[in-house]
Amino acid sequence: MKHLSDQELMRIVQAGDPSPASEIYDRYSSKIYNLAYRFLRNAQLAEDATQDVFVKMLKHANSFNNDARLLTWLFTITANWCRDHMRRSENRNRASVEVLDELPASVERFDPHRTLERNEAERRVARALDKLKFDQRQAVVLSRYEGLSYAEIAKIAGCSEGAVKTRVFRAMEVLKTALMEDEESRRAGRGNDEEAGAGESHPEVTNA
Amino acid sequence: MPECNATTERMPLLLTESLDPDTRELTHQHIETCAVCADEWSAFQETWRLMGDLPDYDVPPRVKEQFLMRAGLAPAQQQPAGNPAGNVVPFHRRQAFKWVAQAAAVVVLVGGGFFAGHRQPAGLAPTPATVTPVGPYDRVGYSNKITPMALAETRVLDADNLSPEIQGRPNITNVQCVDCDASDGQIGVSFDISSRWTVTGNPKDKSMLRLLSYMIENEESTTPRSTTMEWVRRMYSDPAFADPQIANAMAKVLRSDEHEGVRIRAVETLRNFPPEVATQTRDALIEALKSDPNPAVRLKAVEALANMIRKGEVLDTATLDTLRQKASQGDENLYVRVKAAEALGSIKP
Repeated sequence: MKHLSDQELMRIVQAGDPSPASEIYDRYSSKIYNLAYRFLRNAQLAEDATQDVFVKMLKHANSFNNDARLLTWLFTITANWCRDHMRRSENRNRASVEVLDELPASVERFDPHRTLERNEAERRVARALDKLKFDQRQAVVLSRYEGLSYAEIAKIAGCSEGAVKTRVFRAMEVLKTALMEDEESRRAGRGNDEEAGAGESHPEVTNA
Repeated sequence: MPECNATTERMPLLLTESLDPDTRELTHQHIETCAVCADEWSAFQETWRLMGDLPDYDVPPRVKEQFLMRAGLAPAQQQPAGNPAGNVVPFHRRQAFKWVAQAAAVVVLVGGGFFAGHRQPAGLAPTPATVTPVGPYDRVGYSNKITPMALAETRVLDADNLSPEIQGRPNITNVQCVDCDASDGQIGVSFDISSRWTVTGNPKDKSMLRLLSYMIENEESTTPRSTTMEWVRRMYSDPAFADPQIANAMAKVLRSDEHEGVRIRAVETLRNFPPEVATQTRDALIEALKSDPNPAVRLKAVEALANMIRKGEVLDTATLDTLRQKASQGDENLYVRVKAAEALGSIKP
């Protein structure tokens, strides 16, 4: 199946034969997983989203227009899945994200977080992305990480290109501010540590 | 101030190279002259760069297993040999069952054979089979007969034109009965087939050139086009095989492919083409230098043009004007400007 195009694989699926599903999964699961992870910041939810997206692909194969780009269609399903999930359980989801950030590194299934915790830069960006509204995050993630054009993002988001431009702009403003504030608080924290460190090196001996 | 607001709003578009050339130039000009916007632009660039710190993660393998299971496509679970699960009782075959099973098999075979030999023919009257040699199999050296054959997305064939012999194991999927009514003596079956084709011919044959051009231009091709372009480059760098059609196919890729890696490979391929197709090569490179949104592609294009000038393959007004314009274009990438100036400097009076 590796030599078949996306459209050819989908025609087979549309004819009722689900066997190309594995090949389509191999081609796009990484993109779907990472997109879902960037939307949701939760490895377990990203896994669920990835599974569900490909199950939906099989279930609704006939609604795929063979002139369209398969990845764009899969991104649309992913974005809708994430949006629905966040609407349904926004509070619970946010709480779980906070819990996940504190999970011990030995929990194997949260590998991405272990990596994230090891890398302060990643954590900063992830925290900044958390500050975005869903529509803004969708627009900026699809633009920055997937390199999609505004027209493609508009198709996925179901809005105009102008709206996408506005969302990307506002998202960038929020990210810029968040990253700058993060940097300032980090510097301030470092300054306090240094002050504390200086105090420790010259302790006052009160009980000799 | 309104100009500053407009400039700031355009900054994300500048980052994603989504602005038209005129607006891009105006935006850069304003940034260069406005300290506030210059700071804002630096902050946007830094934010965009920092976002690149979020890497791609690998999908855990269990996700695929679970998906395939849900889709009913999971392979049967293999139990490790000699290590049955604790609640499984091993089954020991009894000898008596073996003889009973063999006797049952004999009865089924004999009975089935008798039934097959004496059953009434089906409603469809048998048609005498006609075996016709397969046209496309004929090759020079096997037969003088050459049957032209078109590669096509869909094909309708009479059964008479198809050999009853199936060679190899072609992958047949999506089988559908398009005419299941045999009352007129005809039935129709439709399917998708994937098989391996080998096409041989002279590199200058029109059909070979058309095929290769299609392969290069076809965005749906699953073999990376950069790979295809690489061996086309090696083959058609030979002046004996230089052909405008291949150069035009490469120019089309350079003009329209969405991946800058492929466009860069197209420039590198054009750069290696012989002087016989210099006109097509020059036109494609000038177009890329003028309008490709990616500075890396423009840089490759200007280097290729400079190379052609050094070799004396091109030296015309269009090339010189483009290089002059690029060398003096304020908002152009610095490296592109320097290369354009170097190319102009290398021209001997």
